[in-house]
Amino acid sequence: MGCFFSKRRKAAQGGQQQQQQQQQAAGADGEPAAGEEKAPQYSWEQRAKIDPKDYTFSGLKDETVGRLPGKVAGQQFIIQDCENCSIYIFDHSATITVDDCVNCQIFLGPIKGSVFFRDCKDCKCIVACQQFRTRDCRKLEVFLCCATQPIIESSTGMKFGCFQYYYPELALQFKDAGLSIFNNTWSNIHDFTPVSGENNWGLLPENAVVQDYVPLPSSEELKAVRISTDAMRSIIPITRGRRQKSSEESCLAVFFAGDYTTANARKLIDEMTGKGFQLVQTKEVPMKAEDAQRVFRQCASEFIPLLEKGPVVALEFNGDGAVEACQSTVNDVFNGTKVFVSESKASASQDVDNFYNFAEMQMGM
Amino acid sequence: MGLLSILRKLKSTPDQEVRILLLGLDNAGKTTLLKQLASEDISHITPTQGFNIKSVQSQGFKLNVWDIGGQRKIRPYWRNYFENTDILIYVIDSADRKRFEETGQELAELLDEEKLSGVPVLIFANKQDLLTAAPASEIAEGLNLHTIRDRVWQIQSCSALSGEGVQDGMNWVCKNVNAKKK
Repeated sequence: MGCFFSKRRKAAQGGQQQQQQQQQAAGADGEPAAGEEKAPQYSWEQRAKIDPKDYTFSGLKDETVGRLPGKVAGQQFIIQDCENCSIYIFDHSATITVDDCVNCQIFLGPIKGSVFFRDCKDCKCIVACQQFRTRDCRKLEVFLCCATQPIIESSTGMKFGCFQYYYPELALQFKDAGLSIFNNTWSNIHDFTPVSGENNWGLLPENAVVQDYVPLPSSEELKAVRISTDAMRSIIPITRGRRQKSSEESCLAVFFAGDYTTANARKLIDEMTGKGFQLVQTKEVPMKAEDAQRVFRQCASEFIPLLEKGPVVALEFNGDGAVEACQSTVNDVFNGTKVFVSESKASASQDVDNFYNFAEMQMGM
Repeated sequence: MGLLSILRKLKSTPDQEVRILLLGLDNAGKTTLLKQLASEDISHITPTQGFNIKSVQSQGFKLNVWDIGGQRKIRPYWRNYFENTDILIYVIDSADRKRFEETGQELAELLDEEKLSGVPVLIFANKQDLLTAAPASEIAEGLNLHTIRDRVWQIQSCSALSGEGVQDGMNWVCKNVNAKKK
């Protein structure tokens, strides 16, 4: 009879490993496969024991709680059954589930995998993650940085804006979580349960003030984190995403991998937004020679050698005169560096389309 | 273990096409598992909206692995993929204790399905890398796997993210691909 992993065997002390008595001949006698464990062979059987309670907030009411930088360090975190609480996870984590929370304000630092909100109501959140998921939620307002398309299911009254936050440790936490600050698809949500004639989700107002939603922490311990919610200081560049564009003129700028790529891209963003142009979207993605041909066309040969050094960072700007402004800014500020900039207003919209088509295929599954 | 090497191991099968179905709740790690099997980058995976399929072919033999989205709303569509399945791989997020009952329920319903009758099932107790992951033994007990009598089955702990345990599970798959009970 199949008995299965029902008792763990004590680790064999040195000596021989036990033979794993797993599968009998395929299907011969109708017995379910029996298995007996060898001595510990997997990393999870051998790691140091950590107390899950240190990584859980459960059943709290009217409290301000959090974790300082370094205190989660990439572990899983659980938040459940909290009411009227302010919760701050100022560190990177593996994955977070938020269950049955009502009227909470929640900051979640970079999450390497997924964040999953279930049965939550009236919460205001700031979240950075690879995947964003909800089920059975009502009235969540989220300033989001998400590397992939966010999804909602059986949820309503959901509102989204662009992640906007800074504290000194945050940039490195994004790196530790494997998240690029340039990959943020916060504004195009997939709804698994759309209702005809209604919208289960929408965008937060453009002028939404982050601190009106998630206030700065009030506890002494958490005040030690030097936070800024100023748009200009945000670790994640503020993008318009799917918000309505003010102009028909766009411009694509592409930086190539190197030591200063992030700093350069941020510099160009600051210069252009300073001049009144809008940043629509950013992307950090590896590019191959064939992609370069399609996107850069005549200029391709100049840029192809740079592709193998690492992923490119692409920026899309919008506004009347964006192309000219971008070209002159790049000439002034980035004299030595190779940067692709759209040639003309006419070609720019094609550049942008070509780039997104390739990027979407690349980042597909 | 790449899909191609799995295929090579399966070459002794009478049929020329092997069909593996990958099911489980949303967020279980099915797509990460599929990408891991295909030796592809797993750092940028989107929640599956429909399904993903990986196909490999070698010397007249074909292996298809179907990864179907697991949101509650779209589970009714799972039955569209049952026909001609040789192996069912059911993936569980071992660290999502809140949904153990739900995943147990879904698995029980699958094992009751006529079109999946007798199909060998491999249960991956995934996400063992996470802090609150329950060990396979606990999951097996909670799911009453020992009461399965009508097919061969196996539970295997793994981390699709790191790949640990995945090959062990796929070794069982290769050995049991012809174990479908009539």
